[in-house]
Amino acid sequence: MVATDEELVARSMAGDAESFNQLVLRWERPIYALAYRVIGRDEDARDVAQETFLRAFRALPGFKGQAKFSSWLYRIALNLCRDWIRRKKRTPVVEMPEDMDIIEMAADHGPVESIEDLVARNEMSRMVAEGMKLLPEEQRTAIVLKEYHGLTFQEIADLQGCPLSTVKTRLYQGLSVLRKYLESQGVTSFVSGQAS
Amino acid sequence: MSLKFSCDDKATLVAYLYNEVDAADRQRVEDHLRECLACEIEVGALSGVRSGLTQWAPPDAELGFAIIQKSVRKPAQNREPVQEPALTSASWWNTVPVWAQAVAAVLVLAVSAAIANVQIKSGPDGLVVSTGWMTPASATTAVAPVTAPAAGDQQWRTALIALEQQFREEIRTTRETGVVRAASRSGVDDATLTRVQALLAASETKQQRELALRMTQLAGDINVQRRADLLRVEQAIGHTGVEMARQGERLNYVIRAAGVPRQ
Repeated sequence: MVATDEELVARSMAGDAESFNQLVLRWERPIYALAYRVIGRDEDARDVAQETFLRAFRALPGFKGQAKFSSWLYRIALNLCRDWIRRKKRTPVVEMPEDMDIIEMAADHGPVESIEDLVARNEMSRMVAEGMKLLPEEQRTAIVLKEYHGLTFQEIADLQGCPLSTVKTRLYQGLSVLRKYLESQGVTSFVSGQAS
Repeated sequence: MSLKFSCDDKATLVAYLYNEVDAADRQRVEDHLRECLACEIEVGALSGVRSGLTQWAPPDAELGFAIIQKSVRKPAQNREPVQEPALTSASWWNTVPVWAQAVAAVLVLAVSAAIANVQIKSGPDGLVVSTGWMTPASATTAVAPVTAPAAGDQQWRTALIALEQQFREEIRTTRETGVVRAASRSGVDDATLTRVQALLAASETKQQRELALRMTQLAGDINVQRRADLLRVEQAIGHTGVEMARQGERLNYVIRAAGVPRQ
């Protein structure tokens, strides 16, 4: 039976480092993905993810369990991302993986998807990444938390420390900017209303 | 709360978009969308943007973070170890068992020695170490001849015993102060083994898919080439037929001009 986060946290707090490593294994990819989409650099996202778990481990005795463990991790990671953006004093630069290979991508997604589809998807991914760069950090983070991590409006509001209505406004504005950007890039099939 | 949805109510629109809206508000929005084309188009477009967002995936990075605790010796009055956390990224050499690392080290040494053609000989002149491929065995250069006279056996033994004791002391010290990794190694190894197996399986599947994809591509290319060749052959045949007809006409003309009745 798989232990819950709460059980693993309790064991970790009792000194069982292996339980904490199970939590790391469970959450390292979501935290890395969050950092990558917010700051847009693979290496820096790895550093942020690594630092997130190190800080969480050190701060574990102070974790009282008022929030979910995942929310607590997200908060640490987002603070680190914010620090990174401030330190670098620049907007995130979304880099595509250097070794991105269409053939490799095709192999990843099975032979059912045609090369043309893969190229189109890769192009869409690149354009979305470019569009996300245009957004202010708060809007980008709100979209990332909502779209890729499935957080509720209230959870995002708690993480961002803002009212619920602000989260909805950030999402609406962010999506609208992305819509305009994609339309300017000639992507009409996606944003013309057929897709859902 | 008004009964009718307003076009300016973007907060409710976003809540509707993310399906985080109560039944009453959902009904209000849907009623409005049936009447307002602009809002209908906007909802469709924002849904499309959301579809586009799903295409953006982070790189498939191998992370493998793990907390490793180090024991650090406190001052003499309190010799209990304290825990110092360190987060490491599980590099490939961290996943290799210790015995395999030791075997690898011995192999590297052996290969290096073989490449350098190291020869160690014991003779009346003591130990002679020679290296190099070009030098004949008979003409080995004594790199560092160490003379061990028979009378000095006792000295050698004493020195070796002292060296052994020194090594043991160093190993013991290292164990006391070193990183406590061995204790958690077995647990990590199990998890690592599972992950490695999963990675291997994924890699194998990936290779099979890649092969299938390349074969499909190859078949497609061959098919295209075949069609192009057929087309070319057909064109050539057509061209030949036209040319033959033209030649026939010329021949008829020559025959007519010469006044020779055609047979």
